[in-house]
Amino acid sequence: MTETATRFTSLFDNSTLSQIERMRLRPLRRLTNRARGEHLSGKGGSSTDFADFRDYAVGDDLRYVDWNIFARLRRPYIKQFQHEEEMHVVLMVDASTSMMFDNKLLLAKQAAAAMGIMGLHNVERVSAYAMHSQDGKPWMLPPGTGRTRIRQLLQFLEQLEGGGNIPVERAIETMLRFHRGRGVAILISDFLSFGDLARPFNLLFSSGLEVWGLQILSDAEINPNVQGDLRFIDSETQETLDITNASELLSVYHDQRLWLQQNLDSMCRSRQGRFLSVSSSMSIQTVLFEHLCRQGWVQR
Amino acid sequence: MNLLKFVNLYGAWFFLALIPLIILYFLKLRRPKMEVPSLVLWQSVVNDQRVNSPFQKFRRNLLLLLQIILLCLVILALMQPFLKSEAAVSEYVPILIDCSASMSSVDEATGKSRLDLIRDQVREQIENLTGNQQISLFSFAATGRRLTEFTNDRRALLKALEKVQPTDLPAQLDDVLRMAAAYTRSFPIQKVTVLTDGNLPERASFELPFELEIKRVDAGGPNVGITEMTARRSGPTEWEIFLRALGSTDDLRGAELEIWENGEKTHSETIEVSLEEAERMVIPVAADKARFVEARLVPAGFDSMKTDNSVWLSLPAARPLSVWIAPKLGTWKRAASVLENVTLEEGDAEKPKGSDYDLIVADNAELESVNAAVKVFVGVVPPDLAGVIEVRDDIASVVDWNRTAPLLRHVQMADVQMGVQPAYLTGFGVKDIEDRGYEVLADGNAGPLLLQKREGLQVSWWFLFHTDKSTLPFRVGFPIIMANAVDASLRQASLSEIAAAPTGVLPGVALQADRDYVVKTPDGEQIATRSNAAGTLLGIPAAKVGKYEIMEGTAVVSAIGTGLLNGNETTLKVVEDLKVAEADVKSEELDELESDQPIWWPLAAAAFAVMLFEWWYFQRARGSVV
Repeated sequence: MTETATRFTSLFDNSTLSQIERMRLRPLRRLTNRARGEHLSGKGGSSTDFADFRDYAVGDDLRYVDWNIFARLRRPYIKQFQHEEEMHVVLMVDASTSMMFDNKLLLAKQAAAAMGIMGLHNVERVSAYAMHSQDGKPWMLPPGTGRTRIRQLLQFLEQLEGGGNIPVERAIETMLRFHRGRGVAILISDFLSFGDLARPFNLLFSSGLEVWGLQILSDAEINPNVQGDLRFIDSETQETLDITNASELLSVYHDQRLWLQQNLDSMCRSRQGRFLSVSSSMSIQTVLFEHLCRQGWVQR
Repeated sequence: MNLLKFVNLYGAWFFLALIPLIILYFLKLRRPKMEVPSLVLWQSVVNDQRVNSPFQKFRRNLLLLLQIILLCLVILALMQPFLKSEAAVSEYVPILIDCSASMSSVDEATGKSRLDLIRDQVREQIENLTGNQQISLFSFAATGRRLTEFTNDRRALLKALEKVQPTDLPAQLDDVLRMAAAYTRSFPIQKVTVLTDGNLPERASFELPFELEIKRVDAGGPNVGITEMTARRSGPTEWEIFLRALGSTDDLRGAELEIWENGEKTHSETIEVSLEEAERMVIPVAADKARFVEARLVPAGFDSMKTDNSVWLSLPAARPLSVWIAPKLGTWKRAASVLENVTLEEGDAEKPKGSDYDLIVADNAELESVNAAVKVFVGVVPPDLAGVIEVRDDIASVVDWNRTAPLLRHVQMADVQMGVQPAYLTGFGVKDIEDRGYEVLADGNAGPLLLQKREGLQVSWWFLFHTDKSTLPFRVGFPIIMANAVDASLRQASLSEIAAAPTGVLPGVALQADRDYVVKTPDGEQIATRSNAAGTLLGIPAAKVGKYEIMEGTAVVSAIGTGLLNGNETTLKVVEDLKVAEADVKSEELDELESDQPIWWPLAAAAFAVMLFEWWYFQRARGSVV
C-alpha cells in the first residue's frame, strides 16, 4: 500500500497531522462562547482549577464563599474557579484567482486545515469560509465541534478550488452575515486588495472575533524579477497597468510591500489580533512549527 | 562675441517630424504582457510620489525622450549651425601659402616643418568652411602659383593643400599679390591672408587693393648654410673659390666645410658661424681642367634646413681668350696686344679664319654672322637701323653716356670729338632704336654714338662713328674700352669670374644652335628643351638645389649646379613690418586662423552617441524581460 493511500488527508502527511493534533491555538483575549468547552474562560467558572477571589455580593452562591478566610478576616470572599468555555474559530481562506499563483492556495488550505484541526481537537467550534465568489452564498463549512468534524473540515478544504475575484473586505462582510459566536477569525489571504480593510476588521472585532491575519505571498511577489517596459495584467480583474523600466521601480515596490505588511500588522494588533506574512515557497511544517510557534499563535 | 548662426535655416521645418514621431511612438509601443496575481502593489508603485516626480516621468518614457533628442540633434546638424567668429569673415578668402625654402626648416623638438604647421591650420579652416564661403589657395616662393579656384569643395581644397611642398627658392610676395589682385575684378575680395614663417623680403612694390593679413608661425630651429659661392681666376692655372657661410642664431655654431671636385673630396675645414659673424673662405682650385665643384656644409649639431648646405659650381678649364680684330683697326689691335690671356689672331685677312671666337672687333657689318660671344663693330651702322640713322659729315661730340655699362666702365668720354656725326633721320628717334633691340650707351648732339645689342648670351657693341675719325684713341679711356671688352668676353666665356647659380632659373648655357636637349633635374625629372638660334639654352626652371645635367640624347653635354644662396632664407630672419608700397603691414603670430566654427559635427556625434545609447538601452530592456 502506498503512502498516499494511507494518508489521512492530501494536505499533509500523517506525522505532521499527529504533530498538529498535539498543538492548540493561543488566542490573546480568550473571547469564548457560553457553551462549555475546553477553552479556559477569563470569567469565573466551575472547574476545579482555582482562579481568584472577589468580594461577596448579594445574590452570590454561598457555596463558593471561602469560609477559612471569613474566619480569619470576618469578611466574606467568593472563590472563583476557571471556566472552560467553547471558543469559535473562524477560518477564512482566500481562494481567489490571485491565490492560485505559486502554491499560495495550497499553503493557505494547509494552514487553515492545521489550525482547524487544532481547534476541533480542543473542542472549539470551527467554521470555514472560502473567499472566491462574489455572488450568492459563500462556500462555507458551518460551525461544528468535535473530532468527528475533522474529516468534514479536511474534505471542505481539499475540495476548495481557486478562482473568482471577491475582495477580502467583501468576503469578510459576507461571512459575518452567517456567523454567530466569539473567538478567533483567522484570515488566510494575500491581502492584495484595493479596498479598505479597516472596516471589515472593525466588524470582526465588534463581533467578538480576534483578527488573525496570515498573509501568503509568492516569491514572485516578494522579490519580483522584472525589467524593462511591461504591461501587467491583473489575474482577477484582467485590468492592465503599463510599467516602464520596471527594474528601476523595484525599490519603490519593496517599500510599498513592506508598508502594506506594516499596515496590516498595525490593524490586526490594534484589534487585539496578530499578523504574519509568509512565503508560499515555505513548507507547512516551517510555517507551523517555526513561524507560528515562535510568534505565539499556537502552542505545542 | 560668438553668435550661433545657421547655414540652412530652412532645415528647421524638419522639427515638424517630431509630431509623427510622438504619434508613432505611442501607436507602436508594444510592451511584453505579464500576468500578476494582483496589481495592488504595482498600482501603489505607480501612484508613489517618487515615481511621479518630473524626472521619473521622463524616465518612464526614456525611449521617446531619446528619440526626440536624437531627431532634434540630427535636425540641428542638418541646419549646419556655426559660431560666427569675431573677425569679419569674407565670402571669398584667398590664402597665400609661403613655400619658400625657409618653410622647410624644422623644429628641433617636434621635427615639424613650418609648412606642416601652416598646412594644419589651413586644413582646419577648410574643414570649418561654412556654406557661402569659398577659398582659393595660392602658393608662393620666388613666384606665385594658384592652386585652386575659389571653391567650397573641401576635397579639392584638401587635395591641393596636400600637394603644397616647400621649394628651394627664396620668398617673393609681389607676384602672388598681383595674382590675388587680379581676382578682385571677378570676386569681392576684402582680405587676403598670407601664411608664412615671416621670412619675407622687407618690401614689396605693390599697391594693395585689399586688406593684407600676414599670419606667421614661429621660425624653425637653428640653421647654418652657405650663402655665397663664386670663383675668380687668380692666375693662368688657378681659380679661387670664395665662400660665405652664415648662421641663424646669435650663438656660434660649428660645421665642417667640405669641397668636392668631380666627386672627390679635396678640402675640408671646420668653421664657426653665427647670425652676426659670417665665415668667409677662399679655397684655391686648379684650373688645368674643367671641374664640377661642390661645397658641402656638414653642421656639427642640429640644422633646421638642409637645402642651403650644398652649392655647386661648374668651373671650365683655363684657356686664353680667342680674339680677332679687323686689320684696318690698328688702334684696337695695339690696345689688345698688351692685355694678358689674349690670343690675337695673326694676319691681315679681312675675315676671321676660325669659326668660334670670344671677341671680334670688326669694321664691317657682314661679320655679324661670325660666332663670337662679344662683337665690337667700329664705324658701322647696324643694317636694321639703316633707315633710322645716317652718318653725316659733321662734327659731333658726346653729350652723355652710360657710365655703368660694362663697356664704358671707368671711361671718361666728356671731351671726345668725332669727325662724323651719326644722326637720326627725320621722324625717327630713340624709340625706333629700342624697338629693334638696341640700347643707346652714348648719345651725341644729333643722334646715338654707341649702341648695345644682346642676343641670348651674345652681346654686340656698335660704334656708329669710326674711332679713327675721333679723338677717342688718344684718350686714356680707349685702352680701358678694349680692356672692358676683353673682360666682358672673359666673363661670357666664364674664364674670369663665375658665380654659383641660385635656384629659380638656370643661367643660359651656350650650346649648339637649334638642337634638342633634355635637362635632368636633381629629383630625376627630365625637361625637354631646345636651344635658340644663338645656341643658348634659356629659361630652364630650377626649383631644386642640386646638379642639373644637360643631355643631348644620352650624352651629358653640360652640367650646372644650383644652391639656395640666399642669406635671408638661411638666417630665417623674421620680418615683422612688411612695407607694401607705402603702407606697413604687421605680421602677426599665427595661433589659429579665425574662421566660423561649424558645430554640426559635434551635434552629429552626439546624435550618434544617443543612437548607440538608445540601441543599448532598448536591447538591454528587451533581453531582460522574464
